[in-house]
Amino acid sequence: MFRKIFIPALIACTAFLFLFSACKKDPYALPVAKDVLQNDVIKRNMGPNVTGTAIEFAYAMALPHTKGKLVSAEVEASIAGGAGTYMDNNSYYTANGADVPVKVGDPSVTSGTKTTVTFTVDTPAATLRYFYIVPAAAKGQSVSFTFTANASDGETVSYKMGPFAISKMDMVRNITVKDGGAMFLSIADSTVYTTANLGANAAKVDLVYLYRTPANKTFAHALVAPAADTQYLPGVVLPAGVNKNTKILKVFNLQDHQLAPTLQPGIYVDDPDFQKLDMTAAPNFAINVKAEAGVWVETADGKWRAYIFINSIDNANKSAVISMKRYPVQ
Amino acid sequence: MKMKFRIILAILFVGLAFAGCKKDYPVDEDGLLITTRQECYVSSFELVGTDFVSVRTKTAVIDTTALTIKVEVLFGTDLKNLYPQFSLATDCKLDPKITGKTDFSDLPNPRKWTVVSGDRKIRKTYSVIVTVQP
Repeated sequence: MFRKIFIPALIACTAFLFLFSACKKDPYALPVAKDVLQNDVIKRNMGPNVTGTAIEFAYAMALPHTKGKLVSAEVEASIAGGAGTYMDNNSYYTANGADVPVKVGDPSVTSGTKTTVTFTVDTPAATLRYFYIVPAAAKGQSVSFTFTANASDGETVSYKMGPFAISKMDMVRNITVKDGGAMFLSIADSTVYTTANLGANAAKVDLVYLYRTPANKTFAHALVAPAADTQYLPGVVLPAGVNKNTKILKVFNLQDHQLAPTLQPGIYVDDPDFQKLDMTAAPNFAINVKAEAGVWVETADGKWRAYIFINSIDNANKSAVISMKRYPVQ
Repeated sequence: MKMKFRIILAILFVGLAFAGCKKDYPVDEDGLLITTRQECYVSSFELVGTDFVSVRTKTAVIDTTALTIKVEVLFGTDLKNLYPQFSLATDCKLDPKITGKTDFSDLPNPRKWTVVSGDRKIRKTYSVIVTVQP
């Protein structure tokens, strides 16, 4: 009888004990900052690191205000950045969704691989943005960064970032092509020629842009190889020497964010896309290309592969605006 | 009283066991069900290019008696890299399977696909006749 009551009672008591100990709340304790200068870095941009674009970082540094203030911030890159590499001398806060700058130092000084900002206000904490313009000399290599902060009490702290792979691609944006005007595209030269300024570059022309509206057919804007069948180049008189047989493949819904920054975020054409591209059965013409569509291109000599994105088309002026990423095939 | 309850439970249990052993439809070599349906036809046909945009000028004309699918494609379509998309009657499958880009450039010799009915007994071979808009 006693056993029958005792065991359930024991279980009930233990259960109540657990219940009460679980319900006890720890009072909130303010975190205590470490008594030293600290720093942290985050990389802010996404996508492949293409020549001419910026690799962006945010460098945060702080020390307890009782110990002193920040004196300078410095970044050293393993490969000297291109023109336009700088460290922002502003700290930012957000108001109503917009970044508001607060000047905290002198404009940055870049010499060789080092970029330095000297603080002009008394502040124990700041976050500065660093923009590294990818130089053409770094193509295919890796770049690393060392961020350093110096405080007035003599402390120094560093943070290493990288290595980051630099893409082998080149990029040109917003080239206007016009039927009867700038219509001869050269991928090796990354430019578009007119009949007038073609000159000795005739052999380098890979694509012809044209706009036609024949009856009962949809032709519209087209990118055609010079060597394509003449039915795809109606009314086009090719200058002497323009005769390449370029491979072209139409593609839709590939809105590369670097070629079209206002469209889909987070979609990028990168080196591996060009390495895996299979153009063996591709035709040499692409007619009725639509706005925000694209074409994969491979030159006749196999030296270049490119992705041409059609930013916009203009039927009235028979022109289009295109952007291109090209990749040297080894 | 307890004994009656136990007998009823046992009968129910045995009944459940037999119900579980009932055989389902058999499955063919592709893992698809072989049913009793005998319908065997193509209900609609779509042809898209490498940019996954349709290249047809108008709806494909499907003749289920003559077993032809007549489709007209836009001027300037790359015939070597097209993706056909068949819509078949319920439970049917296509032979040979479409695995990727298909070459339709041989216009005088149309490509053929066989539709196999749900009970896998009826086979009908359709020809896809492609014409290019002049």
